[in-house]
Amino acid sequence: MKATDIQIALCGSAGDGTIAAGDILRNAVARAGYRVISFDVYPPEIRGFGKCISRVRITTEQSYALKRQSDVFVSLDDSHAIPHVGEVRPDGAVIFESQPVATVAEGHHISGHIHPGHIPYGIPLRELSEKSTGGGRSRNLVVLGYIAGLLGLAPEHFLSIIEKKFTKQGSEVVSRNQAGFHAGFQAGTATFKLDNVFFTPLGTPHGSEQVVMLSGNAAVAQGCMDAHLDTFFGYPITPATSIMERLAVALPKRGARLLQTEDEISAMAASIGAGFAGARAATATSGPGLALMSEMIGLATMAEVPCVVFVSQRGGPSTGMPTKTEQSDLNAALYGSPGDSQHIVIAPTNVEGCYRCAGKAFEMAERYQTPVIVLLDLYLSNRYETVTLAVSGPPFNLNANKPRPRLEAGEVYKRYALTDDGISPRAIPGDAGCMHVITGLEHNELGRPSDQEEMHAAMSRKRHDKLLGALQHPDFTVSKRFGDPGRVKVGLLSWGSTFGECLEAMFMAQAEGIPCAAMKVVMLAPFPVQPVADFMADCDVVLVPECNYEGQFAHLVQGILAKPVVRLSRVPGSPMPVEAILGEVRRLARGAVTAIAS
Amino acid sequence: MSIMERPVFVDDKLREVRQSGRLEYRSRSLPTWCPGCGYFSIVEGVTYACNEMGIAKEQAVVVSGIGCSSRFPFFVDLFGFHTLHGRVLPVATGVKTANDKLTVIAVGGDGDGFAIGGGHISHAAKRNVDITYLLFDNGIYGLTKGQTSPLSAVGLRTSTSPFDNMEQPLNPLMMVLAYGASWVGQAYAGRPDHLREMITKAIAHRGFSYLHILSPCVTFDKTSKTYVNLGLRVRELPSGHDATDLMAALHQARDQESLAIGLYYQESRPTLNATFEQLVAKAGGGR
Repeated sequence: MKATDIQIALCGSAGDGTIAAGDILRNAVARAGYRVISFDVYPPEIRGFGKCISRVRITTEQSYALKRQSDVFVSLDDSHAIPHVGEVRPDGAVIFESQPVATVAEGHHISGHIHPGHIPYGIPLRELSEKSTGGGRSRNLVVLGYIAGLLGLAPEHFLSIIEKKFTKQGSEVVSRNQAGFHAGFQAGTATFKLDNVFFTPLGTPHGSEQVVMLSGNAAVAQGCMDAHLDTFFGYPITPATSIMERLAVALPKRGARLLQTEDEISAMAASIGAGFAGARAATATSGPGLALMSEMIGLATMAEVPCVVFVSQRGGPSTGMPTKTEQSDLNAALYGSPGDSQHIVIAPTNVEGCYRCAGKAFEMAERYQTPVIVLLDLYLSNRYETVTLAVSGPPFNLNANKPRPRLEAGEVYKRYALTDDGISPRAIPGDAGCMHVITGLEHNELGRPSDQEEMHAAMSRKRHDKLLGALQHPDFTVSKRFGDPGRVKVGLLSWGSTFGECLEAMFMAQAEGIPCAAMKVVMLAPFPVQPVADFMADCDVVLVPECNYEGQFAHLVQGILAKPVVRLSRVPGSPMPVEAILGEVRRLARGAVTAIAS
Repeated sequence: MSIMERPVFVDDKLREVRQSGRLEYRSRSLPTWCPGCGYFSIVEGVTYACNEMGIAKEQAVVVSGIGCSSRFPFFVDLFGFHTLHGRVLPVATGVKTANDKLTVIAVGGDGDGFAIGGGHISHAAKRNVDITYLLFDNGIYGLTKGQTSPLSAVGLRTSTSPFDNMEQPLNPLMMVLAYGASWVGQAYAGRPDHLREMITKAIAHRGFSYLHILSPCVTFDKTSKTYVNLGLRVRELPSGHDATDLMAALHQARDQESLAIGLYYQESRPTLNATFEQLVAKAGGGR
């Protein structure tokens, strides 16, 4: 039987409950056992009449990106939905209000814009809502019920999610919304079926794992909790704020501490102070906050203090586009701090990766005594995916510190002792006999200020070499190749959230008969030179798709490996379209050599 | 009894200092300050206070910013963190948040605290972080060889105010009192006996204690905050000063000509770490 792969898009105006409906939908299907990937688009304003779109892709096996075209499209507000009718695939369904409350001027009703190949489902949304709930506000629930009825999804999961979502507002609200859902469900069951879109039954899930649906930021927060984060210091900034908001609820329940600081400088400073004192410490921010933190990150590099910084990128430069996604803070994350800014930068490529990278970041910070930047972006922070977690408990090492040997009597503790692996055993305040001072000044093994040539060279080498161990960090995917083995025509080299789109494009290219492979690079500093070099050697041409204008990752790769790549640098403010990547792959497959020459 | 009434012999003084035990808190590094700098008496005061209070060396952390004063951690045998210019308070807040048991002493200069780091004092004060902030005020940037600071007096000639400083200095004590610091005092490096008692009290206070320490810069300021000038301008707080009266404290702090030393204000209220614990209880949590 064909596997399930359905994408549903809901479009409305702020206040229509579009995002809420999308949230119920993705939770209900996830609870039913399907895999989900979902991303919402909404305006930067809190109120007003901005456009909201919630897209949910439902599959049997986890997918890597949203499809460009949805199978089912819902309009809760025609003025916003009309420009998006084109994103419904041929033979896809368009669900809309059939009985507008007032006369609609010509061209302002969606029915006039539906393509000839679309299947129109005009339903009296408002009327159904009013009849079942006594008001028009439950149109979003009516539509959900309609979709469930139309596609043959059992109502039980929807009803329990509705109950969970609205239970705080009282049982009356719950039953009203459930009534709206039922009204829609009956209408959906009674109407003609959409015959080429269907849900296939699922097998029973493995007992050794649990599947939960999380946003990228929720996965980060979960990773922090499972890695036993002790202290979090933060300053609100879109799109990182929800990491802090989630931890503000979760940390005190475990007896841990969260402080909202006066600015990002303080958030970073306090994280470093807590890291120095031996706590697991983190902060979260976006590009503008990272700029303020960069001097502090350099201090943590120099003083070798463990701390973790989550950076969710948004459109830049400067305040840029706070509610739009971009991957343009790579340079800032890699090089933002003055001096040789040696630290670790990792970038997950999906929501499950957010969880793992968050937990592993604390291991790495402790093990290599360094700041670790976890680079996310708005698309990854805000999108939802079903994530498989091990039931046996979190897969993180809760104490990754290098053991400290006992000091001989009269021996002076050397905080920055030069060792083979560059890692010096670290004492923390409270450790008797190990008093020492750490500093942002260059220093000798004792930590005393020193600007001697040999010492600066030795310490620079130490700070560099110790990080190389991270490339072999246990249970961590530094880079990974997918697709065709051996020699390929086109290789997709990618990082961060765009990798999902690359994978989808690769599958489509393979289906067209183009020999194609893709590599994700999760660790951006230190850079996994050998695996990437090996991958590039296998490719006739390497394409680097990324969401920034200057091709920052392409520059990094070309600089390190001194080999040309073809850039696909776009700044749409939204995820890189799979079709854009696929088009480029096709073009390169036709004339790979010319592409390199140009 | 003043020094003049009874001669002090070096051998006697050395014996007394050695026997007191406070040299235990001195590191092997000799201070790098200029001969005659007022900061020597602050090191003396901190080691005295630690010794008097019986603070275990590994349980104390000195956090500093950048500047002459901020080299301080290297000269005491405690845990220390020499951080960035202006960031002493947020780093110290992080240290204290991570470990309640530590005695955290923040040190920094007037430029570090009131210029680049000026935004942090209000927040450390309002949160009542249980740390002691010793502000070394010599009214000048010493480590960069003598530039004007926000606490420099009108008329001070420096390399960045070659035609004399025209800006009125800030009033740090009024600011910190208005921010809600729960312990505010002033001392003078030229009166080391009073200074060390004030440092002891400041460390003993539970909550954010701010001690403003007046000191000359003997190298770069020959005209303004010299030992002679400060010696003439410093006075004691009036004997009847009520340290629980915020308005009285503000009134005393307003006088920047005649500088009163002593405890201006003190109140008892929950520290940041106490509020963290309240929050944990409210959330129904626990480790």
